[in-house]
Amino acid sequence: MAERNLEQLEKIREVVSQDLLSGRIELLLGWEKGHYWWQSRPLFARSKDDLAKLTWDSFCAVNLSRYLLEELKDHQKVGVLVKGCDSRAFNRLLQDNMVERDRVVLYGLPCPGILDYKLLAAEAGPELKGIAEENGKIVLKTASGEVEVKRDQFLMAKCRECLYPDPVVYDQMLLEPQGKKEAPERFKAVDELETLTPEERFAYWEKELSRCLRCYACRQACPYCSCRECFVEQENPRWQGRAYQPSENFLFHLVRAYHGAGRCIDCGECQRACPVDIPLQELNRKLIKDINELYGDYEAGLDAELEPPLLTYRPDDPAAFSEK
Amino acid sequence: MSTALNDKTTGYEPLIVAFCCNWCSYAGGDLAGTSRMSYPANVRVIRVPCCGRMNPMFVLRAFQRGADGVLVAGCHPGDCHYSTGNYHGRRRLSAFKRLVEFAGFEPERFEVRWISSSEGDKFAEEMEQMTAKIKALGPNRKMRDARWQSVT
Repeated sequence: MAERNLEQLEKIREVVSQDLLSGRIELLLGWEKGHYWWQSRPLFARSKDDLAKLTWDSFCAVNLSRYLLEELKDHQKVGVLVKGCDSRAFNRLLQDNMVERDRVVLYGLPCPGILDYKLLAAEAGPELKGIAEENGKIVLKTASGEVEVKRDQFLMAKCRECLYPDPVVYDQMLLEPQGKKEAPERFKAVDELETLTPEERFAYWEKELSRCLRCYACRQACPYCSCRECFVEQENPRWQGRAYQPSENFLFHLVRAYHGAGRCIDCGECQRACPVDIPLQELNRKLIKDINELYGDYEAGLDAELEPPLLTYRPDDPAAFSEK
Repeated sequence: MSTALNDKTTGYEPLIVAFCCNWCSYAGGDLAGTSRMSYPANVRVIRVPCCGRMNPMFVLRAFQRGADGVLVAGCHPGDCHYSTGNYHGRRRLSAFKRLVEFAGFEPERFEVRWISSSEGDKFAEEMEQMTAKIKALGPNRKMRDARWQSVT
């Protein structure tokens, strides 16, 4: 199994069960083990029995803040376990007036980074039975024995360039914070694509986007996609055609990314949710990079009070077109 | 949309869609007309209330349905009829222009210009330049709807 730290889990369970039983919260959003040992799925806990299923391990990837949109309709007060990215997602929703701060209790969990099963399986082979963890090392357990590897190399793409592993907004911090991280290669893929010619870039995106099924899982997982009616489902005007062709794929992906301009918290949930591995974060990061370059550094979701850059302006702003 | 001017004997004529703000650039186009200046008939003008009204999907839809180039024209910064529409538009369109270039469009395909209502000559000149640039670049096939057909 993949329990990282039972001690940590007990501590979390103790605090949240107190709050749930005392009625401070009606529902707790956490994680429970999924069908396979490498899956941790959202847990909606309403009772002590539910809390017995709670887990906190290296596979708790799902961003729970997104579920507040639905759960606050049926519950007066909801508790959420938040990692760094979940907490920035919460700020995002707060900024969009999609949640009320005083109806949510946030339990902060500093996150060591989520592991990617595909990478683990590629290293250990298909008969990987489970992992054990200690001090930045992972032990891969297979039928033929155990192999020890470094943890860093098996992080999910979305976690490798994470800047804020600690929650930035919380009511109670449950574990020891670990401080801001460095992300020197955050824009590396974007920089590389920028050096290509337009033709090469178009060919790259045409190929990547050709896999798109338009299942809209990226939208569904995204904490900034909170419109009550999404443009892809709008009937009049019907912006998004249903046809399977590059033109429609480009329209969807450019507009999806653009809706996150100045709002995307770079949590990578879209890319994680994508069943065909489209590098969606490259589009998101391109916008983050450009907006930082043109209108000053801004990290979405860090501070709910700061105005997002595309909602404001300065008279002396630079422009990306040739005329000022 | 049709490239009605597409003359098979003389070669390629591009289709350019110009989104013009009601208060400045559209009036600038009017002035170009009443002053009897000529500019290429490749340009189709679509009037929008303000360049801050531009939805990026307008641009992408134009490319899907046959445009070889798209131009957005608005009031000079500081002169917006709604005071701040073009300041917001400048930020949004800047981010959007870089995004479409990142997706593989040539920078010339999508442009933004400031044209006031007294600049009829500038209006004519910008349309002239844009047409010349797109003509040199050739037809756009990127993002073209597979079902789209040129009606000539």
